[in-house]
Amino acid sequence: MRAAATRLGAAEQRALEHWQARRRWARAGLVYAVMLAFAIVFVGPLLFAAVSSLRTDPLEYPPSLAIPQLQPSNWAAAARLGQAGAGDRWFGGFAPGATVPFEIAYFVPDGVDVTDPDVEVPRRRPGAGLGAVLAIEYAADFASVSELQRLPDVPMTVESGDGTTSGRRVAYAFTIRYQGDGPVIDRLPLDVTAAVGMQYLDSTLTASRLERRGRTASFNDVAPGVLGYVLRNYVRVFNEVRSPATRQSLFLAWIGNSFAFAAVRIVVTLVIASMAGYALARLRFRGREAIFMLVLFSQMVPLQVLFISNYLVLRDGILTVGGFTLSSLWGFPDGMLNSLTGLVFVTALNAGAVFIMKQFFESIPREVEEAAMIDGANHWRRYWNVVLPMARPALGALTILTFQGAWNDFFWPFIVLTSPENVKTLPIGLLSFRNTYGAVGDWGLILAGAVMSAIPVIILFVVFQRYFMEGVSFGGGKE
Amino acid sequence: MRTKRADTVAAYLFLLPFLVLLLIFFVFATGRAVYFSFTDYDLFRPPNWVGLRNYAALFADALFLSALRNSILFAVIVTAVQTFLALVMAAVLNQRVRGIGFFRAAFYMPSITSSVVITLIFLWMFQRRGLINYLTETLQRHLPVLLAFLLVLIAVQVVQVAWERRSALPATWTDPALFVVSLLVAFGATWLLVTTGVVAPRDVAPVDFIWLQTRDTIPSGAPFWLSVPIPLAAIMIQNVFTTIPTFMLMYLAALQDVPKSHYEAASIDGANATQQFLRITIPSVAPVTFLVLTLSMIGTLQMFDQVAIFGDAAPLRSVVTLAYFVYDRMFPGAQTPEVGFAAAGAMFLAVLTLVVVLLQRRLVRSEGH
Repeated sequence: MRAAATRLGAAEQRALEHWQARRRWARAGLVYAVMLAFAIVFVGPLLFAAVSSLRTDPLEYPPSLAIPQLQPSNWAAAARLGQAGAGDRWFGGFAPGATVPFEIAYFVPDGVDVTDPDVEVPRRRPGAGLGAVLAIEYAADFASVSELQRLPDVPMTVESGDGTTSGRRVAYAFTIRYQGDGPVIDRLPLDVTAAVGMQYLDSTLTASRLERRGRTASFNDVAPGVLGYVLRNYVRVFNEVRSPATRQSLFLAWIGNSFAFAAVRIVVTLVIASMAGYALARLRFRGREAIFMLVLFSQMVPLQVLFISNYLVLRDGILTVGGFTLSSLWGFPDGMLNSLTGLVFVTALNAGAVFIMKQFFESIPREVEEAAMIDGANHWRRYWNVVLPMARPALGALTILTFQGAWNDFFWPFIVLTSPENVKTLPIGLLSFRNTYGAVGDWGLILAGAVMSAIPVIILFVVFQRYFMEGVSFGGGKE
Repeated sequence: MRTKRADTVAAYLFLLPFLVLLLIFFVFATGRAVYFSFTDYDLFRPPNWVGLRNYAALFADALFLSALRNSILFAVIVTAVQTFLALVMAAVLNQRVRGIGFFRAAFYMPSITSSVVITLIFLWMFQRRGLINYLTETLQRHLPVLLAFLLVLIAVQVVQVAWERRSALPATWTDPALFVVSLLVAFGATWLLVTTGVVAPRDVAPVDFIWLQTRDTIPSGAPFWLSVPIPLAAIMIQNVFTTIPTFMLMYLAALQDVPKSHYEAASIDGANATQQFLRITIPSVAPVTFLVLTLSMIGTLQMFDQVAIFGDAAPLRSVVTLAYFVYDRMFPGAQTPEVGFAAAGAMFLAVLTLVVVLLQRRLVRSEGH
């Protein structure tokens, strides 16, 4: 190109430069467009799952982003109804003395007789699985529906594939009253069944689904409050999934376990890896090469080779002498399966972390330590007072990577934590969600749980992006 | 001499907790797994030595053969696809532009999220009435529109480049400035064609492809060792999706170190984009390719999580891998555990992994000299 340019005159050369500049701009623009497309592809499924987790039924076909839970008119109605139901505009409910007003409208084509619809508060169990097992109070036992009041008809036409149908809009208003005294009930479900020929148009709150060929407009909760309406699946995750014995919320227990596991594993990893890394990087001793080779080799052996014996170590302990094992020493005479302690033990060996710390310590100049050595500081003081404070960035990176690893860890929790439900960590708990709710196609709860369990790592990632990127070059990609 | 001995004592004290763990959970565990693989241990009765019987039995076991087939196909196909796509995407994005940090973060999203979260989301998308089938259907429906768009795009680009070349400007067929114009023209033309009804989305039957609850394979009716079960293909798609960004960013980092002058020299010599990609890009990122291939092979050979999370959503034979086979024989539900058999399977997996690592070492060494 340069050779071509010299042959051209000055004006032509300027034109060519212009032309080249235009190309560069265009290329940058295209690169942004492509990057945006890739970003949409890679973040898309997560975002779409997050939006769909708000839907009553995330499997509803066709998939769409236009969902009732994202309509401000429904938010306002949900707040109003929640206020009427239990004086709680956020989470709603159905409390003694409440009167919940409701309206529903139908399109009735000309020539079709209008029959008043049938309004009922059904006895519907909340979801499948664990939620259905628990005994609950039903709104049906306390609710009474008022007489239907027919509002003035409005003439209207409806466009459909076959042309225009003229008719009128027939609307009804009624109230649901809490009769007598009783507990505050979480949900107030409602079924409104109309005669054949009457088409559901709209209602105070959009119907959760249409059943019986569109005749029955079914509502999961007509006094939900804003959060109870928009985040219904999220509220269900906490409320419905409870331990049958203690009624404790399992999801909360899993979150607690995951945080506890991550915290202990961080401390254990930092202590063990920094000490071992220091010795391997800074001290000269016989067997150093052999140990380092073992560290490298241990990263190549698949978990499946190790888990057979390690599972047995947790079950039976080691060094069984006359019925006494090392695990009895730790206060686990029956073995350490189904305990977080066992999980911490079996995941404490982290050769990758030792490798990272060794690399880092090798990058600190030796002179730093020599000054301390002259002052007569022993190895421990040199490690604790001199080298470790300098290793803060490496320890920070290791903390974040270890948190992510522990929070996302699947294999070991899957092996070690099997029962009861409340010993599990989040990933394993989500798996039991899939087993109970996936089978009946109730994906709202599963997606809500999945989205919530992804949030801590995503926050950490957004704040400490740099460490994650370095993690890739340290330990390789994640599968 | 004194300091050396003091160093040794101190070193072993520092290493003590790590060494204890390494001895129990690695050395002892590996040794015990090797030992078990020669016994008939079943978790409850004391083990009896059976020699090589477990290893011989592996190759007569239908589940193991399925696992072996699935693992190898999974590792080879996923590694090939994701390495290739990662490199191509990195080459496309190899530009120094501002604000790459934001996009980099977005690309990383799938790989920082846990395997359970990603797999659950994909399970949901692979349902019969799920997003994947919906997108396939939408694509089929709009195929005429898409074709019209592409035809206009190519035609306009060709006309423009020919025009510029006639005015003696060194435009290539993929000239970005002209391409932007072509894109805009193609958008406008397609919009016109659709609104005037010349081109319209066609009617297609609803796509009701069964991804999960099926024993069918791709290609259907192929020989056992070459047929990919459809649920396994679903896991392949998911794995490629989650791993591409990581590898793409590794490639991108390597590509930024390739001097621009190489490409300029090549384009003076008249090499087009494809030739530049083959002659310059691929050779200069060879070390990264070796790393990516190894990481990808090791990761895919040991695939376990997705199979466990799929659970009863897909037939076991269609998704089982070597790693899951070991777990399944160790905890076979109501049957008696076959620990010896499981250990033999684990040994097989370990040897396979080591072979891949050693092969890669050998290749890198021969490449280096």
